[in-house]
Amino acid sequence: MSGAQQEGWQVSEEEVVAAELERRVALRTAELAALNEQLRKEIASRKHVEEELRSSEEKHRVIVEAASDAVVTIDETGSIVFTNPATARLFGYGPAELIGKSLTVLMPQSMRGLHDNGFRRYQATGVRHINWQGTELTALSRNGREFPVEVSFGELSIDGHRLFTGFIRDISQRKKAEELEAARKCLAVVRADVSLAFGKEGSLETILHECAESIVLHLDAAFARIWTLNRETKMLELRASAGLYTHLTGAHARIPLGTLKIGMIAQEQKPVLSNDLLNDPRISDKAWVAKEGMAGFAGYPLLTGNRTLGVVAMFSRKPVTAQSIDVLASVADLIAQGIERKRAEDELQVSERRLKEMEGELARVVRVTTMGELAASIAHEVNQPLTAVVNNGSACLRLLANRNLEPDILRGALEEIVADGTRASNVLSRIRAFIAKEAAEKSPLDINAVIQEVLSLTGRAIHENHVMLNDQLNTDLPSVLGDRVQLQQVVLNLIMNGIEAMTMLTDRPRLLSVRSQIASPNWIEVAVRDSGTGFSSAPEHLFSPFYTTKPHGMGLGLSITRSLIENHGGRLQAVSLSPHGAEFSFTLPSAPVATS
Amino acid sequence: MTPAATVFVIDDDASVRSSLKRLISTIGLRVESFGAPDEFIRTELPDSPSCLILDVRLPGLSGLDFQRELAARSIRIPIIFITGYGDIPMGVRAMKDGAVEFLTKPFRDQDLLDAIQVAIERDRARREQAQQVKDIQKRFDGLSSREREVTFLVVEGLLNKQIADRLGTAENTIKVHRSRAMAKMHANSLADLVKMLQKLKSASK
Repeated sequence: MSGAQQEGWQVSEEEVVAAELERRVALRTAELAALNEQLRKEIASRKHVEEELRSSEEKHRVIVEAASDAVVTIDETGSIVFTNPATARLFGYGPAELIGKSLTVLMPQSMRGLHDNGFRRYQATGVRHINWQGTELTALSRNGREFPVEVSFGELSIDGHRLFTGFIRDISQRKKAEELEAARKCLAVVRADVSLAFGKEGSLETILHECAESIVLHLDAAFARIWTLNRETKMLELRASAGLYTHLTGAHARIPLGTLKIGMIAQEQKPVLSNDLLNDPRISDKAWVAKEGMAGFAGYPLLTGNRTLGVVAMFSRKPVTAQSIDVLASVADLIAQGIERKRAEDELQVSERRLKEMEGELARVVRVTTMGELAASIAHEVNQPLTAVVNNGSACLRLLANRNLEPDILRGALEEIVADGTRASNVLSRIRAFIAKEAAEKSPLDINAVIQEVLSLTGRAIHENHVMLNDQLNTDLPSVLGDRVQLQQVVLNLIMNGIEAMTMLTDRPRLLSVRSQIASPNWIEVAVRDSGTGFSSAPEHLFSPFYTTKPHGMGLGLSITRSLIENHGGRLQAVSLSPHGAEFSFTLPSAPVATS
Repeated sequence: MTPAATVFVIDDDASVRSSLKRLISTIGLRVESFGAPDEFIRTELPDSPSCLILDVRLPGLSGLDFQRELAARSIRIPIIFITGYGDIPMGVRAMKDGAVEFLTKPFRDQDLLDAIQVAIERDRARREQAQQVKDIQKRFDGLSSREREVTFLVVEGLLNKQIADRLGTAENTIKVHRSRAMAKMHANSLADLVKMLQKLKSASK
């Protein structure tokens, strides 16, 4: 350097090359330093990444170790290469016990083939035989317990080796809750169906058929049947059959109590449940079970209190689940209650109908009896004028045959024939009016006019019996609503009774008074009073049919009279008078005044 | 000529009474009608053939009871029952008690009129017989005690001699008593006398 300066300020070629070299070295050195720095940084960075990675793995390991779900990794052969503690816990194995074992040990026997085939096919073709996310499967614990699990799978490849990791969650609790919910819903639905069926009008068969159909539909039954117990014959009678069989005939149509499983259920009042039909001694027709592929049977007695009403039973092609059994048990109670209520209702209806029939029958008997007695009484009443008619007619014929044509005699006979014919006809009208009470034609009428008509009819009887008539008719009476013929009958009966009560009188005048008056607003009263012997019995007796004080009376007059008055909304009363005589009176409501 | 027969009618129905009266009148019989038995009882019955048409159903008491009451009162009028609702036991009882006929209303006029004829005839016969007995009794009452004794023994079939022995008198005395008794009794023969005493005997039973 001093040499370059000595040579003056003139720079030699060597000096230039050296300077260039130096510059390049310096540049390179800087580059290297930068590179170094970068390398150092990279190393530091990688270290950091590695640390982070290690930390993450640790984190994951902790997660896997601590997870409540089982985590199981298998290799391409299906052998277990990793399990987490939850796996051991869930399946009941020791910490390392599963390593090297086939995954299939965690599955029920029935699923193992399926798994093996599916796993192989996936590896060969990539086609998954099950959904890898959230698939519900059945798992098998070390002690043989099967339990529902939800499984998700993941796959990774390490060094060309494929590993499969499964996350297995025990869903027993959830499943149980779901099943409970389903059972609850099912129960609710079937109960609703049964309740609805029993709420409908219809025969017990129809109702029970709906119940059976609901059981088939909701309890997954192949068919369901309902028998009711006939207590008299001790026979279970098939009332409903739904599903595979719907006929109500055949060997099971009538099952004696205590025979076959149905009869046993009814007699012992205990349910019969079986999910192993081929080995169940209670199942008689094994060939049928095999042919139809029946797997389960459940039969419940229909009980109210300690009485057996019948049996409900179902066959299923799947084992009958505990939930189904619960539903069936509950529904059996409901059906039993329904049958009981239905029967009570039917009995009530029957007894109501019977009561009605009996009432009708009673009314008819009373009427017929009354009619029979009346007929005897009427026979006399009709016979008298008829006899007179026949006698007079015969007399006329004889007189004509004898050429004895005395006009007065013939006229007298013919007049009597006409009068007696009319009298007989009136009697018949009275009978008709009595028989056809419902045919009573009510119209507003003047009760005084009715009394007058009867008085003119009874004029002869009054005269012949030397009876003094005293009529006091209030002419200001409102009209009454009534049947003219029936009210005539009433007044006639009372007047004739009055006259007859006095036929034996010799020691005092025979007085008959007929009175009409206003009893109270809207009521009129008619009274017939005689001076006869009166009566000593209670007035009520007088009105009962067949009670009579007359030696040959039928005891119907007053009974009929009262019926007629009551038909008109009135009342008939009797009073025995002191010192002698009797008064019979009736009230009638006045006819409503027509409003304009 | 025999006095006109009378038909009595008891029926509580005025129409029936009136019609019966008219009908029975056509065969020329007298008819008297009553509405109740006691009216009939109070009536004095004529001493001539008669009969009673009696309704079974009567105010006061039944026709059948009335039949017995009449018998108790020794009123031996033949009875024809008429009834609106006769039954067999009732008819049997009535006939046993001596009713002539039991007719159900309404009846054929001929049945009633035939029954009336039978009844009247029966009453006439009864009355005749009663009159005969009465006459015989009267004649018998006219006999002396000795004549009666002889008459009884004659009727028994004893010979005059036997009667004389029995009574301790002469046969001729008996013959006198006997012929006097025969004459008093208006007996034409022994047989006649026997008949008369039989009639008396049966009537006094």
